[in-house]
Amino acid sequence: METIITVFLTILGIYFTIGLLFGLYFLFIGATKIDPLMKDTKKNVRVLLFPGIIVTWPFLIGRLFKSKTT
Amino acid sequence: MGLNYQLVLWNKHKKTYDKIIAAGMLLYIILFAATTLIFNSETSIETLVIRAFGSLAIIMLHIILVIGPLARLNTNFLPILYNRRHLGVSMFIAALIHGGFSMFQFHALGDVNPIYSLFTSNMDYGSLTNFPFQVLGFFALLILFIMASTSHDFFLGNLSAKVWKRLHMMVYLAYVLIIAHVFLGAFQQETSPFTIGIMVIGFIVVASLHLTTAFKERKIDNTKTEEKNGWLKVCHISEIEEDRAKIFTVENERVAIFKYNGKLSAIHNVCKHQGGPLGEGKIIDGCITCPWHGYQYLPSNGQSPPPFTEKVATYELMLEDKTVYINPKAFDEGTEVKPCNY
Repeated sequence: METIITVFLTILGIYFTIGLLFGLYFLFIGATKIDPLMKDTKKNVRVLLFPGIIVTWPFLIGRLFKSKTT
Repeated sequence: MGLNYQLVLWNKHKKTYDKIIAAGMLLYIILFAATTLIFNSETSIETLVIRAFGSLAIIMLHIILVIGPLARLNTNFLPILYNRRHLGVSMFIAALIHGGFSMFQFHALGDVNPIYSLFTSNMDYGSLTNFPFQVLGFFALLILFIMASTSHDFFLGNLSAKVWKRLHMMVYLAYVLIIAHVFLGAFQQETSPFTIGIMVIGFIVVASLHLTTAFKERKIDNTKTEEKNGWLKVCHISEIEEDRAKIFTVENERVAIFKYNGKLSAIHNVCKHQGGPLGEGKIIDGCITCPWHGYQYLPSNGQSPPPFTEKVATYELMLEDKTVYINPKAFDEGTEVKPCNY
């Protein structure tokens, strides 16, 4: 059981670390590429969005790649 | 709807609701603390905070879960639904304080990583009465975090309404985890039938309201109708109120048929914002207005008025002897359809 817990928590940690790194890029550069409304969005709003970006990074990466290929 | 994202879309009504939420939360904490100090004065401050905010979060979660079905059953509850997002985030903050203090009191003071400690300090995963219930609370809090952190129109627009809705439907999983967390945790020591009874009644209310709504909607979906040359009979025109709609199901899709200014128009019932039931809204300033968050669509073409870009499918109607008929074939989203005059 301890192994399962260790593996699970490691995966969770990796997920959130990637989310954190991706979030920093996405918040100030990537978001504007997929959403024109982000262009005039203030910094405090971007900070508010940060936790959600960390959580949903796989979906947002998908959107980012899609926008680059179209 | 907007041309850039705002921190919070406040208006006069929302500010009033938020003040009510904040005052209600504060009042509950004060009452809980006073009651605990009177009847159980040996309780430590940490325990008091954990219990006060934990119970507050559960009460708020019950309120959040009944708002949806209540608004479907009675339109008087729609204004509360309109502000549900703020209530959800407030509930998460209460749950976070409960979880944070629990983590600090029980797991942060040793030399083991607090989260690892939470999962391993009690390894009795096979037991029912001694189950490590805090793990259930952790997962519930994780779900509430996902929901609270994505409670912004940015995520609705960029994750797609479908993905966003699925993420937020996880509230039911969080509810089940919280029920188990309470029954396997606090209620193992709690012997008061009053407290346990309140929790059971809460569950029954949530479940019965959801079932009642589901039966009501199934009735709409299963309505049998007559067909006339490919057109489906909907109802007599007098059955639709002025500036309101009748919801009718064609080919497994709900359609909202609106009556306004001597005209009839039909559009797809699902709002592009959060999937709200447009047919439960009304015509305001010439636009179909979603009852959930006020998104608007022009009745004749299903398009949000410029500069907004949301579009829903439209349908063709026919009136014969004051009876409304609908062509079951939907037009593409935003297609102009001449309203049916009466």
